[in-house]
Amino acid sequence: MSHRFSASLGVLAAVIAVAPVAQVAGQAPTAAVKKTAAAKTKAVSPARNTPRTSWGAPDLQGTWDYATITPLERPKELAGKEVLSQGEAAEYERQTLERRNPDRRDGGAQADVSRAYNQFWWDYGTKVVGTRRTSLVVDPPDGRVPPLSPEGQRRAEARAAARSRSPAGPEDRNLWERCILGVNAGPPMVSSAYNNNVQIIQTPGYVVILNEMIHDARIVPLDGRPHLPKGMRQWMGDSRGRWEGDTLVVDTTNFPDEANFRGASAALHLTERLRRVDADTLHYEFTVDDPQTWTRPWSAAMPMRTAEGPIFEYACHEGNYGMFNLLAGARAEEKAADEAAGKGPR
Amino acid sequence: MPRKLSGGLAGAGLLVVLAAAPAAAHHSFAAEFDAKRPIRLEGTVTKMEWINPHAWIHIDVKRPDGKVEKWMIEGGTPNTLLRRGFSKHSLLPGTVIIVDGYQSKDGSLKGNGRDLTFPDGRKLFLGSSGTGAPRDGKDSTEPKR
Repeated sequence: MSHRFSASLGVLAAVIAVAPVAQVAGQAPTAAVKKTAAAKTKAVSPARNTPRTSWGAPDLQGTWDYATITPLERPKELAGKEVLSQGEAAEYERQTLERRNPDRRDGGAQADVSRAYNQFWWDYGTKVVGTRRTSLVVDPPDGRVPPLSPEGQRRAEARAAARSRSPAGPEDRNLWERCILGVNAGPPMVSSAYNNNVQIIQTPGYVVILNEMIHDARIVPLDGRPHLPKGMRQWMGDSRGRWEGDTLVVDTTNFPDEANFRGASAALHLTERLRRVDADTLHYEFTVDDPQTWTRPWSAAMPMRTAEGPIFEYACHEGNYGMFNLLAGARAEEKAADEAAGKGPR
Repeated sequence: MPRKLSGGLAGAGLLVVLAAAPAAAHHSFAAEFDAKRPIRLEGTVTKMEWINPHAWIHIDVKRPDGKVEKWMIEGGTPNTLLRRGFSKHSLLPGTVIIVDGYQSKDGSLKGNGRDLTFPDGRKLFLGSSGTGAPRDGKDSTEPKR
């Protein structure tokens, strides 16, 4: 996507050196590692004594951190390589952090502008997931998001063409620049540049999923009520939850076309699963089903760990000067182009 | 034991083939700032706007002719710095800083804080006594070593 920074953002290697990684005391289902990708996710067994709320539900409450440098998709160069060895993982982490380090100044001025600001503002995480898998995608087994359907391809091209035009106003920019959706909050949640934090709050009838990015809350009813009528579209979709054993299953539909998770259409049907693995860990999985976009459904999985602090407010509209500036930039570029072409003011 | 990467990974540099990972900040700096207008400013902090999505540092820059220009410099989200133990009190008015960056495309006195340093070369927000980087990578799905 044109609004993504294409490369070289990440975590300064020095940060690793000064930041000890806290140990998490917990059970480690070691058998999980040897099985196939799909089987492996299922093999992450819930804690024998899943903590319970006062009303007896599995207790998922807390503030959770899902930062990781494991990419959603397996890098093409690692095709066929499902899991890294311990040494490979360390090398992968080192190279990824070096490549993303925004304090480097190579690659020319344009690359430098896109690196935006110093490393100390970024918070990608510094480690791969504990299983050392090479992708968060667990299905298909190649670790890659499936190919776009012909319709998905056409939509992607139309969106790319729209993005390439000079923006006339905020509506022509993406939803995170407009402070409507967080880039990493989804749904579904996928680690990104910073604020990879989510708080979960439960009552007997509801689960609240509060994302730090754009501090938006999904209030998920558990009483089996039907989804909203099809005509009612919400930015984060319409979520309904239920318990399957100790796993919270959240079913989300009614997305707007603009939500556009990795090119998804408004027909996206998202299923998320959250399970407490131990005191410090949630296991998070999601399945994306959108036949109007992809040739088959696909799934990803990742751990979430207890965050050290609270969720901080991300009052995005408070100081979104960037929107003003980039629109002013577009006007300045148009003016310069007009002058170069010998035209008068628009 | 998983299949080895072709050529193995015995030495450093063998995994350099990694493609660029997708990454996204809150908004496009390439649309906001001009790669053809690099700036280097030494200025005195007058105010820090500790706001989201991105913090802005206001500085007075004295030009050789004695005129003072008021610049606004864009950083990242303050949330990350809060986690590392910094606050708006960590950069107080009167502090002299050096800004290396790029000016806004419309030519106004705004730039990105590509590199924010003190005059002695230290980066602004390093040496945290706060909680440090996230404690990621250790989770109970990890095999015991």
